[in-house]
Amino acid sequence: MAASPPVVRADEPGAARPVDDRFHNQVVPILSKYCFGCHSGDEPKGNLSLGSLKGADTPKDRETWETVLEMLDSRSMPPKNKSQPRDAERRIITDWIRLQLESIDCSGKRNPGRVTLRRLNRVEYNNTIRDLVGVDFQPADDFPTDDVGYGFDNIGDVLTISPILVEKYLSTAEHIAERAIVASPPREAVRRIEAKDLAGGDRLGQRTVVSRAAATTKIPIGKDGSYVIRVKAFAAKVANEPPRLIVRVDDREVTTAAVVGTRDSPRVVEARMELKAGPHTITLADARRQSDEKTASGDEPARPLIVIDFVEIAEQAKLPNSHRRIITVTPSAELASDRCARLILTEFATRAFRRPVAADDIERFVKLVMLVQEKGDTFERGIQLAVEAVLTSPHFLFRVEADPEPGDEDGIRELTDYELATRLSYFLWSTMPDEELFRLARQASLHEPAVLEAQVRRMLKHRNAEALVENFAGQWLQLRDVAKVTPDPEGFPDFDDALRTAMLRETELLFDAIVKEDRSVLEFLNADYTFLNERLARHYGVADVRGDEFRRVALPANQRRGVLTHASILTLTSNPTRTSPVKRGKWILENILGTPPPAPPPGVEELNDDKDAQLAGSLRQRMEQHREKPMCATCHSRMDPLGFAFENFDAIGAWRDFDGKFAVDASGELPSGDKFRGPVELARHLMLAKREQFCGCLTEKMLTYALGRGLEFYDQCTVDDILKRLAKEEYRFSSLVLGIVQSDPFLKRGNKGTDE
Amino acid sequence: MNRNLISRRTVLRGLGTAVALPLFEAMRPVRAFAATPLDAGSAAATRPVRMAFISVPNGIHMPDWTPKATGYDFELPFTMEPLAKVKDDLLVMTGLTHDKGRANGDGPGDHARSAASFLTGAQPVKTAGANIRVGTSVDQAAAEKIGHYTRLPSLEIGIEPGRGAGGCDSGYSCIYSNTISWKSASTPMAKEVNPRLVFERLFSNKSPGEGGKAAARRDLYKKSILDLVSDDTRRLHGRLGDADRHKLDEYLTGIREIEQRIAKAEKDSSHELPEFAKPSGVPQDMGEHMRIMCDLLVLAFQSDLTRVATCMFANEGSNRSYRFIDVPEGHHDLSHHGGDAAKHAKIRKINRFHVQQLAYLLERLKSIPEGDGTLLDNCMVLYGSGISDGNRHNHDDLPVLVAGSGGGTICTGRHIRFEQETPMCNLFLSMLDRVGASTDSLGDSTGRLTGLS
Repeated sequence: MAASPPVVRADEPGAARPVDDRFHNQVVPILSKYCFGCHSGDEPKGNLSLGSLKGADTPKDRETWETVLEMLDSRSMPPKNKSQPRDAERRIITDWIRLQLESIDCSGKRNPGRVTLRRLNRVEYNNTIRDLVGVDFQPADDFPTDDVGYGFDNIGDVLTISPILVEKYLSTAEHIAERAIVASPPREAVRRIEAKDLAGGDRLGQRTVVSRAAATTKIPIGKDGSYVIRVKAFAAKVANEPPRLIVRVDDREVTTAAVVGTRDSPRVVEARMELKAGPHTITLADARRQSDEKTASGDEPARPLIVIDFVEIAEQAKLPNSHRRIITVTPSAELASDRCARLILTEFATRAFRRPVAADDIERFVKLVMLVQEKGDTFERGIQLAVEAVLTSPHFLFRVEADPEPGDEDGIRELTDYELATRLSYFLWSTMPDEELFRLARQASLHEPAVLEAQVRRMLKHRNAEALVENFAGQWLQLRDVAKVTPDPEGFPDFDDALRTAMLRETELLFDAIVKEDRSVLEFLNADYTFLNERLARHYGVADVRGDEFRRVALPANQRRGVLTHASILTLTSNPTRTSPVKRGKWILENILGTPPPAPPPGVEELNDDKDAQLAGSLRQRMEQHREKPMCATCHSRMDPLGFAFENFDAIGAWRDFDGKFAVDASGELPSGDKFRGPVELARHLMLAKREQFCGCLTEKMLTYALGRGLEFYDQCTVDDILKRLAKEEYRFSSLVLGIVQSDPFLKRGNKGTDE
Repeated sequence: MNRNLISRRTVLRGLGTAVALPLFEAMRPVRAFAATPLDAGSAAATRPVRMAFISVPNGIHMPDWTPKATGYDFELPFTMEPLAKVKDDLLVMTGLTHDKGRANGDGPGDHARSAASFLTGAQPVKTAGANIRVGTSVDQAAAEKIGHYTRLPSLEIGIEPGRGAGGCDSGYSCIYSNTISWKSASTPMAKEVNPRLVFERLFSNKSPGEGGKAAARRDLYKKSILDLVSDDTRRLHGRLGDADRHKLDEYLTGIREIEQRIAKAEKDSSHELPEFAKPSGVPQDMGEHMRIMCDLLVLAFQSDLTRVATCMFANEGSNRSYRFIDVPEGHHDLSHHGGDAAKHAKIRKINRFHVQQLAYLLERLKSIPEGDGTLLDNCMVLYGSGISDGNRHNHDDLPVLVAGSGGGTICTGRHIRFEQETPMCNLFLSMLDRVGASTDSLGDSTGRLTGLS
């Protein structure tokens, strides 16, 4: 009926084009009747001039029309004391604006957008420290809450840094370093047995040869613990292969090592073991002598010879794994402490900054270690301090991506493989890249489509992908709020923390199954199975589920389908004392269909909810009376029917046939004329009529989460591509993720962002 | 705006219009000079004036808040009854307005706007993320000028953690609803809700028993790290775009404050641990939680660790239930009362519960002698909400009171009714004068508020 809408090219929003007839003939007359009075001329009210506005050509114009749309939808404008447009007139304008905002040409070069420098949020910080340092004690739980923007807490623009957070960064880095590294590793209590004091073997001056006969020594061990045995030895008369020394404790062989030392420079052979308190015997023997034992003839010692200088045994200092993991070498006569520090810190900083670090930058950390040693503290204390410095560096705390060079012609660049590895791992795992991602980044092959796809598939199956459930699903479906719901104990004595936990787990497990088994995302709406333990099964009235373990259970035909019928969602969209069809409907519009309703105009009368009113009719009947007011009807006719479909579930998601003394009526009719009765029919309706819309909503949410920025109009092209791919690939979860990961906004960085 | 100009003009006429100086200077009683921290470092006898701002969400049931009479002879309405013991220390103010809490063309979102404008008097940019912006808040305007006198320039605390999911209010980022303190137009001051962490922040800068030498070495190490980090940050700065630089600036500012704190701690090691058990965490009981936070606030003021504080008794738009006072419903749900008497009754229960905690704070402050009077005498504790009636979402006729006489510069024990539409920010200017942080304008201020002294 209308002329085809004018289009905005995604790359050139400013391109001029003719404005359609519909605007001139239908929209302008209404605007001039109700709006131009204030919003035109030299000094328009609110600095908003509609007089000169035509189509949504430029981003600025789009923004203005978006504002106008919101004002009209929420009935905030025109003001109450001015004459009001009829509903039909309102709709003419809003329909036209919507059409304008939706039309966009995706054929040209795409603007990938610009992500504002993102700091790690609390979850990411915790996970990164766990993987980087190997201490898992959730240090960021004491940080201030990360604020939410666009529905998620990983948005660059919203992740602000107040002074208190900087304080926490510093004190936490200190705390982590102190926990991970022992500043003064306890001195080992060493007992040395000189070669001449060994029993057996053949004496050779002050030394002992063990090649003909093994030498032994008895040592009492005072307490259970980890011990290290060091044998200083060299080989004499070596022809080809160096001889091999066997070290045994009692009857247990603890090491067999080639003796490569020479008379001029003997070497130490080390063996580590656990020992119980009590007497033990250490035996030193030549491996060849062992194997030849039966055939060995006479007293002639085997050649070459193993000559022993001394044996030492020491209790090993108890050091945390993180200490051994970071401090891989310690200074010795062969390796000066600055070289040690350089080795250790290059390794550590490269992983911490998620990219190669220039030698100059490493040197600055090394200097810190030197300073500490100059002051008389230990090498380990120096590393501790350098680790602290790395953990407070902006390169660790922020995910740094430089802008394209100013000279860059189109202002767009591809991410480096390291940047890509980082985006990928924080998107799917909420943590730093693992060894494999780093390896592919080093090889500069991660960006190759086949490699990238294989990595995404690997990552989705990895245990770390649980982060996607916790953080993406936790926010998309608002599952994080389950921890905060407070159903009224009088009305719902059944509700307890076991049920709360089970509710949450059910939805997490469904999401997890869809991720790990690469199932269709449509199962969020219509899964005919779910995950229950005994507690939740009892709540749902499902028989034969015993014990605390969750298992997959097929759902009966007519009560529950998909997440909308999970007790978690049903509870968090209820009031503490009763169900709220409005909240349930609103939740679906926001999180499933992506069309949030505007806030109610101020001053509307709420539903009368006291005891007397409850006698007058069911909640549903009272709501319907409430909805007769034309001011409320537009939005509530979209929200309430959706919510009514779930009236068979009480405020904690248990099935019910009566609301008080009134039989539940779970039928609903949308403004479109679509009718349904109960949740299963609604799920069917959503599957048939709203599939695209649901997929669009889910895609937008996940793209927002993946990019860490709000979506802009030009992102519509990316969303459309992903939707096509989803439909073609049976709506598999992986095609959604791959669609995002292989899109321009994810792979590239522009210098034109949202605020320019 | 215009109406206020008239009242200001009236005053000017009385004084002779040629005066261009800030009015307050001319009117300030002598004692106030002694109370300003201008000479804080020198005279030990100086009693600095402290300021605290406490916000409650979702408006207040006004018929039970606003005293009927004005002047000294007013009766405490139901909601304020818990304040009986400190009635003489109160200045109840009616008629103040936050115009920037209103839509002014931005559509729905009164809750977010009311918190964002509460101490800034600025219109927040409507955004869910990009370009978050409102204005510097009054507490931070003070901290900017007098923060360097104390270990912490300011203290931000609250009772309710921020939301971890979903939106908060009609297209406004949750930052706006969860924050009342803004260091700059684009840097919100995150608040601390865990009493243990507040305690650690206030008192645990040094391990007890650490010798002077060890402490000095520790400080040297710390400074080396800070040097390295600020250097890193500056070098990175050059490689990034504007929005990114802003983030780094925020980071640098934080680093600089800590550097200053270390420098200050070197000069002054006199702070001793107070006789107050370190809190173990967040108490289950909401009242208990609030009272511990109040205790910490009192300690901070008493030991002069800070002179500026803000506290959100709950986030704006909070839907917490108050079952322990028989209000199982969510506060926000209830605040849309639609004139229902049963809901009114529950709202005023919540209002009164909040005021009880305020009373606890004020009585504690009053119990501590300072100079010739009490600690409360040297405080200005502002309490109120950026919304008046929770159902109408109006931002005029706001519920506001100030407790404490600001070092004898405010004449308390009264209820004043200002002209309608008097900007709340005018009160802020007058408060800033009293802590030695005078400024010409803040938010939508049009002048100073007269009639306080």
